[in-house]
Amino acid sequence: MKWRILWSLGILATQALHAQEISLDKKASLTQVYLPAVTSEQLLSMNDLNVEFGYVLYQTEITTQSDSEELELENVRDYAAVYVNGKLQGTLTDNRKKMAIKTEPGKYLLQIYVENIGRITYGPEITDNSKGLFGGITLDGNDIENWKMLPLNVRKFPIKNLTFESSLSDGNPGFYKGTFSLEGLKNTYLDISGWGMGEVWINSKYLGSYWEEEKQRSILIPTEDLVQGENEIVVFELKHHQQKTMKLSQTPVFK
Amino acid sequence: MNNQLLRHLTRIFLIVLVAQVGALKAQTVLDLSGTWRFQTDVMDFRRGSLSPRYNHLLQETIQLPGITDDHQIGYKNPYKYIDRLTRKYEYMGPAWYQRDIEIPADWKGKRIFMYFERTHWLSSIYVDTKEVSQIDYISVPHNHDLTDFVKPGKTHRITVCIDNRFQYKTHKWNHAHTEFTQINWNGILGEMKLIAIDPVFVEDLQVYPNIADNSIKVRLQVNNDTKKQVKGKANFTITGPNYNLKSEATVVSNDSVTFVESTIQLGKNVKLWDEFNPNLYQITAQLNTSDGKTNYQHTKSDTFGMREVKQGKSHVLLNNRPIHLRGNVENAVFPKTGYAPVDDASWERIMLLMKDYGLNHLRFHSWCPPKAAFRMADKHGIYFEVEMPMWGKDAEPDEDRYNFFRREIKAILKEYGNHPSFVLYCNGNEITGNFDFIEELTAEGRKLDSRHLFSGSTARTRVKSDQYYVSQQTNKGPVKVYEGLPNTDWDRSAESDVDVPVISHESGQRCVYPNFEEIKKYANSPVEARNFEVFKDLLQKNGMLDQANDFFRASGALTVLEYKAVIEALLRSSKSAGFQLLSINDFPGQGYAPVGILDPFWDSKGLVTPEKFKEFCGPTVALLRYEKSAYFNNETFMGKAEVYNYSNAALKNAKLKWWLTDETGKVLQKGNLKTQTIGNDGVFPVGEFAIPLKGITNKQKLTVHISVNDQIKNSWDIWVYPPHQNLMQSTDQVLYTTVYNDAAKKQLAQGKTVVLYPSPNQVKGRKSVFHNHFWNPIMFAWPPMTIGSLIHNKQGMFNDFSTSYHTDWQWWDILNNAKVIEMQNAPEKLRPFIQIIDSYDNNQKLGIGFEAKMNGGKLLVLALDTQKDMDKRPATQQLLYSIDHYVKGNQFAPEVQVEESFIQSFLTK
Repeated sequence: MKWRILWSLGILATQALHAQEISLDKKASLTQVYLPAVTSEQLLSMNDLNVEFGYVLYQTEITTQSDSEELELENVRDYAAVYVNGKLQGTLTDNRKKMAIKTEPGKYLLQIYVENIGRITYGPEITDNSKGLFGGITLDGNDIENWKMLPLNVRKFPIKNLTFESSLSDGNPGFYKGTFSLEGLKNTYLDISGWGMGEVWINSKYLGSYWEEEKQRSILIPTEDLVQGENEIVVFELKHHQQKTMKLSQTPVFK
Repeated sequence: MNNQLLRHLTRIFLIVLVAQVGALKAQTVLDLSGTWRFQTDVMDFRRGSLSPRYNHLLQETIQLPGITDDHQIGYKNPYKYIDRLTRKYEYMGPAWYQRDIEIPADWKGKRIFMYFERTHWLSSIYVDTKEVSQIDYISVPHNHDLTDFVKPGKTHRITVCIDNRFQYKTHKWNHAHTEFTQINWNGILGEMKLIAIDPVFVEDLQVYPNIADNSIKVRLQVNNDTKKQVKGKANFTITGPNYNLKSEATVVSNDSVTFVESTIQLGKNVKLWDEFNPNLYQITAQLNTSDGKTNYQHTKSDTFGMREVKQGKSHVLLNNRPIHLRGNVENAVFPKTGYAPVDDASWERIMLLMKDYGLNHLRFHSWCPPKAAFRMADKHGIYFEVEMPMWGKDAEPDEDRYNFFRREIKAILKEYGNHPSFVLYCNGNEITGNFDFIEELTAEGRKLDSRHLFSGSTARTRVKSDQYYVSQQTNKGPVKVYEGLPNTDWDRSAESDVDVPVISHESGQRCVYPNFEEIKKYANSPVEARNFEVFKDLLQKNGMLDQANDFFRASGALTVLEYKAVIEALLRSSKSAGFQLLSINDFPGQGYAPVGILDPFWDSKGLVTPEKFKEFCGPTVALLRYEKSAYFNNETFMGKAEVYNYSNAALKNAKLKWWLTDETGKVLQKGNLKTQTIGNDGVFPVGEFAIPLKGITNKQKLTVHISVNDQIKNSWDIWVYPPHQNLMQSTDQVLYTTVYNDAAKKQLAQGKTVVLYPSPNQVKGRKSVFHNHFWNPIMFAWPPMTIGSLIHNKQGMFNDFSTSYHTDWQWWDILNNAKVIEMQNAPEKLRPFIQIIDSYDNNQKLGIGFEAKMNGGKLLVLALDTQKDMDKRPATQQLLYSIDHYVKGNQFAPEVQVEESFIQSFLTK
C-alpha cells in the first residue's frame, strides 16, 4: 500500500513536469543577423541572391491611397510573412498570393520575410525551382519597385553572440530567450503550441524547427543537450503570435 | 517394426495422401489459363461494342495469363518518348476476355469463385448476358463470388472486362500502374482459376506470433453460407524443418461470419525469424463442420515466421533487437515483361541481389508487390516496407478516392499480413492534402494489425500514429544524403533524433550517363529505349559518339564513389534507423534516371562488383572518419575508426588493423588498433591513428585500409602532393595570362605558348560542380546539368598529377572552383583534357581545360580559379604544377587549330 502511494506521488510529480512552462521574456532584434543587402528595381529570387535555403527579408517603401489595398505577388516560394511598419499583416504561400493591406493612406515600410523550405520535387513547377519572391508584385495593380533584399543568417549565426533586451516588445520577427531549470535529465519534448514558424536552440545548440501548420507540435530535446540546473532556450519566430511561453512535455505532442 | 519398413510405409502413406489431394484439387479447381476469346474496346461505347447482352462471341483470341502488349494489341506507338521508355503498343481502356465454361455438376451446393491473382484496375465478370461482379483492388487478387450466378452442370459464357483506366482520381505516377516503370498494362497475371469450396469455409487465416512465450494466436474468419447452425473443429497443423505440431479448436457458427481464435503453444524448439535465420513455418487449418445432416470441409494454409516488430527509440526492433535497414527503393522496374513478375524465380533473383550487395530492405514505393515477392523475402530474410498506390495530392478531399484507399489498406493487411518480411507499412509517397485522413488510415492500420509498424506518409507531414518516419528531413534538419564529401567526419544522427525511428528517404540519386549498349536489350520487351536512340543521335550529331562509352564509365565511376560516401555517412549515423537508396537499379521514367549500378533489367552495369560494394554496405562495415582527401606531404592523416555492426553477433576480441598502400599495392605504413570486443546492433568507435605523410615525396594516390579480424575490410583513397610556390611563372616562351589581350596575341604570333587562365567569373557558361546531376537533368532541369567529368588522364598535362579517367575526391577543390566552357562550336576534333559530360538531352561538348593551336602559337586554356585559398588546395596546386611542367617541356604540341573567335565566344566582354 505504501508503495502504491509513493508510486502515485511519482505520477503526480511527472504530471507536474508535463506542465513545466518556460517564459521567453527577452528578445533580440533580427537586424543582428542581416547579411549584406542587395538592392534592385525588381524582386530577385533567392537563387539570384545565392541563398540555397533559409530566409530572406524583402523590403521597400509603399504608399497607400486607401484604407485597404490588395497586395498581389506572382510567386511565393515557399512561405512569406508580411509586415507593414513592423506589424504582421498576414502570411502568403504559393497557393495564396493575395492579401489586403489595411492602413490609413500614407507611406509605410513593407517587409516580407520569406522562407525557402526546399526544392520542389514534382508537379507543374518542377522545371522552375526558383525560390523566394520573383516576378511581379503589385499594390492595387501598381508595380512595387526599389527593393532591398536582406538574406538572414538565422541558422549559422553564433547564438551566443546575440544581444537580448528585456524591454524589446515590438511586433517584428526576432529571437526570444528564456531559461528553465531541470533536476532529473531525460528525453523531453518542447511543446511549441501557439507559436507560428521558427527555429529553436537549446544551450546554444541547434535543436530544430516548427511550423504551426504541421500536425506535429513538439521537438524532442535529447538528454545530452540538457544540463542539470539552468538551461537556456532561444527561439527564432517569423510570425508574431504574442506568445510568451513554451512548455516541456514528457510525450510527443500532436494536433 | 524396423526403420526401413516404417520409412516404406510412410512413403506409401504420402503417395496416397498426395493422390487424394490431387484428386480433390481436380474436382474443386479449374485452371483458367490458356486461350481466351478477346476483343478490344477502345471506344468504350455502350459498355462495349461486343454487347454481352446478346451473348455475342468475341472475335479474336489471346493467351492468359498475359497482357495485351504480349500480343501487340493496341496503338502502335510511332513516337520516341524522351522522359521514359516507349511502350511499343499502348492500350488503355476496357478489354474483353471470354470463355465458355462448364461448371462441374458435382459443384452443386458449393461456393464458386473466380480468382485472378493480379490484374488492374477494374475487373468485371459477366455470366452469359449479365454483369454479376466488379472488383477494383490494385494490390491484391480479385476473387469474384459467382455462386449465385452459375449453375453446376451448365455451360456458361463467362465474359471478363478488364479496365486499366484510372478508376479514381489518383496520382498517375504511382508505381502500381505508371507508364514510367512497369507500364499500365491490361491483362490478367499469375494464377487464374475457378474454385469450388464447401459453404462453411475459412475466409481468412491470420497468425500473430508471440515470441515471449513461443506461441501464436490464430484467428480464423469462418464464413457460413448454410443459414444453419454448424458445429465442428478447426484442426491446425504447424510444420517446419524438424517440426510438426497439431492442435485444434472448437467451432460453433450460428451466423454468416464467425471468428475463431486459438492460442497455440509452439514450444521451445520453435525458431525465430530474422534476416540471418529466416526460419519459416507452415500452418494449415482444416475446418470440419456439420449441420447435423451435411458435413463441410475446407482447408486453408499460409506461411509465417516467429517474429515481432516494435518501435524502438531510434531503430525498428525485430524480436526486441534493433535492426538497421539498408534498403533499396523498389519502383516496379520490370521492362522485360512490362509488369511486376508474379513468379517466385524472378523475385528470388531480386532478393539474392539484395543479399549480394549487402542490403536487407526493400521499400516498395507507392505500390505493393505480389505474393511471390513476400514469399521470397520471407525465405531470404529481407525486410519490406509496402505502400498503397498513393502519392502527392491523393489525400486531398475526394470521398470516392478515400473509400478506395480505406478498402485497399485492409486488403493489403489481410492478404500479406502473415508474411514475416512484411515489417513496415506506409500509406504512400510524399502525400499532401488532408492529414486527418492520413491519420485515420494510419490509426486504423495499427488497430487492425500489430505485426507491422505504420507510418502516415514518406517525407511529408507527420501524424500522431506514426511509428517510424521515412523522410529527407525531420524537424531537426536534413536526414537525406544525396552526395558525399571529401571529408567523412559527419553523420545524420542529431537530425534523426526525433520521437520515432527515422529512415533516410531516397538517398543517392546520382545520375550516370546512359549506356547505349542497353538499347538492344529491349528487342523482346513491350517497351523500347527510344529515348536512348534520340540521345545517341544527338551525341553523334555533336561529333562525340565515340565517347559514349567513356561518358558512361566515367560518370558511373563517380556514382559508385558517391554511393560509397552516401552509404557510409548513413552507417555512421548511429541514431538513424536506416536508409533507402534510390536506387541500386535504374529508374526508366520521370525523365529517365540512370542512377543505378544495375540497369533496368537488374543486370550489373559493370561499374562495381558486389564484393567491393559489400565492403561499404553490409551487416558489418569498417568505417573511417577523416578530415579531407587531398593532403600536402607535410601534413598528417588522422583517422578515427568505427565499426558498424548489425550482424548476428558481437565481435569478440576483434583484431583491428590499419595500413597504407601505394598504387602498386605496396604497404607503406601499418599498425594495429587495440584488440577489443565490438558490440552488436550499433556503431562503435574503435580507435584513432595518425599517419605522417612526410615520407611521401612524390605526388601519389594512396589507400588507407582497415580490417576487422582480417575478414571485414574497407578502404579509402587519399592523395598526397608536395606543396608548391611561385606557380605559373611566365617565361619568354610561356606567357601566363588571365585575359586574352594584345600581349597574348603577340606571344602566339611569335609561335610561342600562352596559358590562358581566366577567372571563372570571366567565363560564360555553367558553374562547375563536383557531383554528377541529381536524379536526371530532364525532370530536374536545374544546375549543374552535367553528369560528371571525363579526364583524358593519359595526356601529358597530367603526368605530374595523379588521376584516373574519372574524377575522384582529389578533384573536389578543382571542380568546385571552375567554370564549364561551352565548346560545341570548337572544331570537332578538339577534345578538352578536362571534359565535362553534358546532360544527355543536350549532349554538347563542354570542358574546363583544353589545348589548341592558334594564330601560329600554342594555347592552353584553364577556366579555374587559381587565387582563392590556394594554401588549402593541394590538388589545384599540383594540377597547375603538372600543367606548367607540361607547357614548358617539349611534349606540348597541340594538334587542333582553333580560331580567335572561339576564344572570344566564351569570355565575358
